[in-house]
Amino acid sequence: MPKKSRSKAAALSAALILTVGTAACSGDDQGGGDKSSDPITVGISLPLTGDFSEPGKGVQEGYEAWAKVVNDKGGLLGRQVELKILDDQSNADRVVADYEQLIGKDQVDLVVGPFSTRLVVPSARVAEEYDMLFVEPAGAAKEVFEQGFKNLFYAAPAVANDHYNHLAEHILALPADQRPKTAAYAAMDDPFAQGTAYGLKEKLEAGGIKTVVNEVYPPNTTDFSGIAAKVASAKADILVGGSQYQDGVNLIVALQQLGYQPKLAAFSTAPTTPEFAKAIGNKTTGILSPTGYSQDAPYESNKEFVEKFKAQFGKAPEEDQANGYTTGQVVAAAVTAAGCAEQGECQKKLVDWLHSNKVDTVVGPLSWDQTGKPQGAHMIQQWVDNDIKIVLPADVKEADFVYPKPAW
Amino acid sequence: MLVFQSIILGLLLGGLYALLASGLTLYFGIMRVVMIAHSAFLILAAYLAWWIHDRAGIDPLLSMVVTVPLFFAAGVVLQRLLLTRLRPATLTMMSVLLTFAIALAIEGLLGYAFTGTQRRIQLGYSSASFELFGARIAVVKLIAFVLAAVALSGLYVVMKRTRFGWALRATIQHRDAARLLGIDTERVAGYGFGLGLATAAVGGTALSLDTTIYPSLHWHWIGPLMAIIVVGGLGSVPGAAAAAMVLGMAQSLLQIPMGTTWAQTVFYVALFATLAFRPQGFFGGRLAQRF
Repeated sequence: MPKKSRSKAAALSAALILTVGTAACSGDDQGGGDKSSDPITVGISLPLTGDFSEPGKGVQEGYEAWAKVVNDKGGLLGRQVELKILDDQSNADRVVADYEQLIGKDQVDLVVGPFSTRLVVPSARVAEEYDMLFVEPAGAAKEVFEQGFKNLFYAAPAVANDHYNHLAEHILALPADQRPKTAAYAAMDDPFAQGTAYGLKEKLEAGGIKTVVNEVYPPNTTDFSGIAAKVASAKADILVGGSQYQDGVNLIVALQQLGYQPKLAAFSTAPTTPEFAKAIGNKTTGILSPTGYSQDAPYESNKEFVEKFKAQFGKAPEEDQANGYTTGQVVAAAVTAAGCAEQGECQKKLVDWLHSNKVDTVVGPLSWDQTGKPQGAHMIQQWVDNDIKIVLPADVKEADFVYPKPAW
Repeated sequence: MLVFQSIILGLLLGGLYALLASGLTLYFGIMRVVMIAHSAFLILAAYLAWWIHDRAGIDPLLSMVVTVPLFFAAGVVLQRLLLTRLRPATLTMMSVLLTFAIALAIEGLLGYAFTGTQRRIQLGYSSASFELFGARIAVVKLIAFVLAAVALSGLYVVMKRTRFGWALRATIQHRDAARLLGIDTERVAGYGFGLGLATAAVGGTALSLDTTIYPSLHWHWIGPLMAIIVVGGLGSVPGAAAAAMVLGMAQSLLQIPMGTTWAQTVFYVALFATLAFRPQGFFGGRLAQRF
């Protein structure tokens, strides 16, 4: 993103905090106004500065887009939705103070989550203390679901380990003579990247596909030729990369240099980035990647989201924006069904409803287990004819699954 | 088979390390300067190679026509304007702070000019390779190796065969004595620093051929490069080259049994071993004792 628009976004968000803040204050002054015509205030703390500011701003746009879409349709339960967004500076202490303030002092009606696992866990604890429903857009690591939270819901199709579920099913369902026999795994030492690769590894191993290489590399790895040499010499049928971006690209080029041709190659994150095709010399055909969100996904609300988002922000939404929007959709569904949105009794109703129902969102229908872990899997995209298309699951596919992968 | 392939890869990697580390050891030799910004300049050169290739479609190797003189001049200016102003008594320590600041400035400017998006030069021969006795050699890695060999031999010839080289080595060995012999050590040091930065221009170009670059990448390089010059003996270019080859090879071979994470620690194990048992370095150079 060019610097200019970034500072513009920062100024915009600062202005937003100011205006929303004053609006909330004036609401306090009125005291015992008619509750049913008051706006529903949604308290959010986001990392608008610091380490997570890029994704933080993305999630913010998602929330703003959601509020606008809801308000343009007359609001929730006939009340307008108002966002109150605080900046936690990517700081775990700040995020706790922010939610204490939002719930205790500002008396917001609902709260939704911040960005990144590191901030989700402490803020979820605050929400839990106040018995508030806590739907969050980003906290895919398994630690989030091991804290015993009862009010937490992760508003995305799947946690990292389940991203590849559709692919695992597809591979294991191949006829025996086509099914790969050996697999190589190379994953960055990072809970998310490694989680995706190891989730698939577990399922394929259980299905009888032998692991011949299992490499973990630190995030600061600069040379991938050694890993590539191991994979190439093992001649694994399929290759799975738990990658972010540059590591995936460097590994693919190193493998091309060694002349390794797998029957199937799947990488997390890297293949869905806009620079990917050019970086590996457009030899992309057949490369797979799980994705939590696609602008082309045929879910009902997605078309509306993409359209309205483009009108509001002048660009297409990415995964961060979609996660924010999805969180809003989940909360809205619960509020509509329970018929209330305020602190106290109502929150329990919202939580109970979400535990026993399915919500249609821009990333597909979502449902959760008791820990708030989503029960779905990511869509699988594949590079076909210089474009990345959804190939799995079959009911939303844009193109047919290509297997074995053409040479790169 | 895998072992042979790894030896080839280790050789190529060691050559690249040698090139990238040569400037770093030179600065220390000439001025007792710990140049944290060296790897930032490498990335800067890599960005310039990428940018020139991206804009004009010129082969990144040709970008050196511009970047090498540019970096040489920048090195002279840097030394004359900033580093000479540091007090000799605290030079080594303060140079860490100063060059740290320069590294941050370069990283920030790269982010500002080219954004944080990760870049990679895509050439027709990026993934091309040929076979040699069953091992595959990537063309870009070979080019980087040849570049390293040419640059280091050039550096060697300059140091050993030219008057400037003699003056430079005299300055490295004993600055006061060199000055007594009538060598303008200040000017020589300036040019020496320029020479060091010129190697960064060559090294950055070599790096850009086969790496995905981004502004903060230099932090991943400075650690191993520092380890190489200490193991090689601070101030000794041949020592750094030898250490680079040994460590590059060790990293590549250890990766087979130990995996990537542990293979990387070879640099730091070597660093500790050197400091503990032979602080002057294993491959020549007597300067470390004063460090």
